Amino acid sequence: MTTENGPQVGVTLYSFTNEWLTRQFELDTLMAEVARRGMGPNIEIIGFQSFREFPDVSDNFAAQFKDLVAQTGLNPVSCAINSDRFLKPGQQPIDDAALVEYHKRQLRSAKKMGFSLVRYQFALPVHLLPEIAPYAEEIGIRMGVEVHAPMWAGHPAVQAYGEMYEKLDTPVLGWIPDFGGTASRIPESMLNAARKAGADESLLDKLKEVWLEDGMSHEKAGRLREWALENGHAPAHIQAASLAFFILSNHDPKSWEALVDRTIHIHGKFYGVDDNGVEEAIDYETILPLFRDGGFDGTLVSEWEGHAYDTRDAFNQVERHQKMCRRIFAA
Amino acid sequence: MLPVERIIGEEGLRVANGELILACRLPWYRSLPFSTVEFAEVSIDGEAFDLADAQVEFDGKRWPLSENGEKVDTFWFVRDSAFLVLPGRALAVGSEHEVALTLYVNPPYIPGMRRHNVQAETLCVAA
Repeated sequence: MTTENGPQVGVTLYSFTNEWLTRQFELDTLMAEVARRGMGPNIEIIGFQSFREFPDVSDNFAAQFKDLVAQTGLNPVSCAINSDRFLKPGQQPIDDAALVEYHKRQLRSAKKMGFSLVRYQFALPVHLLPEIAPYAEEIGIRMGVEVHAPMWAGHPAVQAYGEMYEKLDTPVLGWIPDFGGTASRIPESMLNAARKAGADESLLDKLKEVWLEDGMSHEKAGRLREWALENGHAPAHIQAASLAFFILSNHDPKSWEALVDRTIHIHGKFYGVDDNGVEEAIDYETILPLFRDGGFDGTLVSEWEGHAYDTRDAFNQVERHQKMCRRIFAA
Repeated sequence: MLPVERIIGEEGLRVANGELILACRLPWYRSLPFSTVEFAEVSIDGEAFDLADAQVEFDGKRWPLSENGEKVDTFWFVRDSAFLVLPGRALAVGSEHEVALTLYVNPPYIPGMRRHNVQAETLCVAA
């Protein structure tokens, strides 16, 4: 059980991507289902996944959303926004002024709908933070940059952001750790999905070996691809096996300790929790106490990403994950 | 097929005013600007369709496919189908055809990523 002042456990609607894309729920029925199952009250929503009007939400829709929040008793903590710089494939990214304005539009919409923070991305060049942070201060919303695989606390981009955070010294800027950056192994369910797609065991053995090596994700993916083509594996099987490089990396779970102080929200990334309450790939028993004991009192949202390769019931997975996180936070 | 791999929309294929209209889904977890999506190939019964005069229809608006790359501020809501309008090809209502669609997605926050998506379905032409 979480305490009133300790870490809270909630859910991101991203966990239900399969149910959403297959139109099993509308936004109101999905939020009602989350509330009915007691998965909130704290929730995260990806603006560009769930809101038709994003990035410019009208007053009318914002009012409807607030009514929905009141009816369901949910608390819209985090709105995930995006740093879309490459709007024309193969051409130059949009200019800085346009990118700053793009962030402001999303910040305005999130604030208008009642979110208390936004998740933003490292695709925003660090030198633009001094232009955006004052706007977030002015309208009263916090911004957490998502530290997502292949990044981790020791990554140079994280360090550059950390230096800028020190310089700007404002409470509106913080971190959102995503635990995929410190996976201990590739989830067996992901390997099983590749097996089901026809990947040979020798390809998966090589994947496990290369995944543990040093290097950037795309370099490692290239290394596996080269080996696999030389050894007669089909491109489709290589693609299925390569997913692991882009959503998971193998850094020290204890490394999160360096970011605890400025952590404002957490993505509890996971792939599957077994009957004993253990996650397949990520060492929650090591990671969560760092935040619990470090005084984190924000929300960890359960973020099931198994939907990227699997059609298991997401609600069941989230229930298992939340139970595991509450147990560890309460220990 | 995973939900995120689906590119032929639930609404399928229909004919109206001499145009074929094919429903398409965005194979990504979130909405994207149309400029980042390439409708690359359509074939019907194994024959490639010339897309030179094709149009895109979404949310009550239409534009030439040739201008799709300029639509940087028109977002394809991930839950909704967009429609590819294919002029000049008459198919009988109720007839069945093998339709194949190829689409590329370039997520605008991941430089260099170009995802290749293909789907083929037997569709019955609706009115």
